[in-house]
Amino acid sequence: MSKINIIGVYSDEDVFADAVQKIKDSGIVIKNVFMPFPVHRVFHILGLETRLPVMTFIYGVIGVGITFAFLFWTSVVNYPLKFGGKPLNSLSFIIIMFVMTIFVATLLTFMTFFIRQKIGPGKKAVMIDPRSIDDKFLIVIGKDPSMKKEEIDRITSLIKQTGAEEINERPEPEDFKEEND
Amino acid sequence: MDKQVTLSSRFKILTVVLILIGVAALVTGAFTDSPRFWANLLLNNYYFLTVAIGATFWLAIQYVSGSGWSAGFLRIPMAMGTFIPVAAITMLPILFGAGHIYHWAHHDALLDPVIAHKAPYLNMPFFVARYILFFAAWILIALLLLRYSRKEDEKGGLDYFHKAQFLSKVYIFVLAVSFSLSAFDWIMSIDVHWFSTIFAVRNFAMAFFHGTVIVTLIVIILNKLGYLPFLNPSHLRDFSKYILVLSMIWTYMWFAQYILIWYANIPEETVYYLPRTKGEFKPFFYAELIINFLIPFIPLLSGKLGSRIKILVPICIALIIGQWIDLYQQIFPGTIHHFKIGFIEVGSFIGFLGLFSLVVGWSLSRTPLIPRRHPYLKECTEHQRV
Repeated sequence: MSKINIIGVYSDEDVFADAVQKIKDSGIVIKNVFMPFPVHRVFHILGLETRLPVMTFIYGVIGVGITFAFLFWTSVVNYPLKFGGKPLNSLSFIIIMFVMTIFVATLLTFMTFFIRQKIGPGKKAVMIDPRSIDDKFLIVIGKDPSMKKEEIDRITSLIKQTGAEEINERPEPEDFKEEND
Repeated sequence: MDKQVTLSSRFKILTVVLILIGVAALVTGAFTDSPRFWANLLLNNYYFLTVAIGATFWLAIQYVSGSGWSAGFLRIPMAMGTFIPVAAITMLPILFGAGHIYHWAHHDALLDPVIAHKAPYLNMPFFVARYILFFAAWILIALLLLRYSRKEDEKGGLDYFHKAQFLSKVYIFVLAVSFSLSAFDWIMSIDVHWFSTIFAVRNFAMAFFHGTVIVTLIVIILNKLGYLPFLNPSHLRDFSKYILVLSMIWTYMWFAQYILIWYANIPEETVYYLPRTKGEFKPFFYAELIINFLIPFIPLLSGKLGSRIKILVPICIALIIGQWIDLYQQIFPGTIHHFKIGFIEVGSFIGFLGLFSLVVGWSLSRTPLIPRRHPYLKECTEHQRV
């Protein structure tokens, strides 16, 4: 069963942000928004917040821990070899730990992002409207089968009032994630 | 909006009392322990000079990057820039007493082959010439930036903004050369046999770091006093981002200098770190790193904590002490050779703090606090960030 969405297409970021504010204030549930570039005001209005930086921090801690454990095990526990008069457990670890922290955190963050968004190299992009990566701003409102005609009319007229260029109704693409964060 | 800062008589009396404490401390030093007098004079002068330089550099960055969020606060670094001429005067005794601080300025220093080799650069006439040149450049540009901003208040338009933008670019280039050489002149030449090529960058990072910290602190204080009513958590978050990033840059430079010397283990270089890491100065070696790196870094990783005044103010105050420790570590092992902290150190710092507050407060009270015709002012007063 495929769901139908009402899609409002805007071409100006300020008009779009005002529209999102107005539509949200009128009590209509906004399912999703798509923008060619991030508009902070829209995130603010919709209360969208990403937890990705928290994961990056955790990955960083894991990276630094694993790297230190590896260095400690190789150069202190398993094969202690003095060179240059330096202590075994020494400052020379720090640069490797620093670089590995960045490496592990970046790589795992990317992987988390790819998995959560179900994207990856070679996969065909699933888009509700390809123009959203060009110059159009989209607002997506789910059309419930239980909705009355008046309600749908109210939504479409509101989208039109707030300055939308066009209003489309489209089935949701297969394999499409509702939450986009 | 056009509120002007008025200095309360309590503030004036307090700063004058602080200055008197400083004078008392320096006089005590001059008569009881003259090397410490000279070392403290250099430390405190350089401390507040770097703060002023760092703040004006921060100002230049705001102009060059075309930042809107900070437009309403620009008068504060401008006021801090007016301390540079004062520092030029209070630092004058060092020119006359250079022999007490710098080994190379002794009359018999040229017997030392290393110093004789460096003599074409490190000699008194050239030293004085550089002093005059650097201060002249900094004072000229810092005061010109203030003047442009005042003119902008009167006339409006974009002319003065573009002029200030251009001058800021010039200032950044001028600082890159002049501040590096001044750090070599005034601080690195204390340990005249030793040199480090990253020394200037490390000092520059320190100046930028702590200049920004003091700007943040003054903004918060003015807000608490009822000025700058538009200050909101988003501004504070941007200030805390500056502090976070600069703490990392400072640590990076500090560590780059340390680890290369530690790793190469060349006696000419390690001699610098020997008293600092093994001797009496060891506690300060760790305190420096903890205060200047861990204290701002860990809490400010979370942007939410950084937008709270109750978190940001203690961090700023800790960093004021942190910079003092940083400079103490750079100056005292080479001049005094012993770990000494007493009334002379604390008192003279308090005295210079009073002088700095008085000068900055006075120049804040001379101009309207908000550059009301700055083109980005509206962006600043309505700055909101998720």
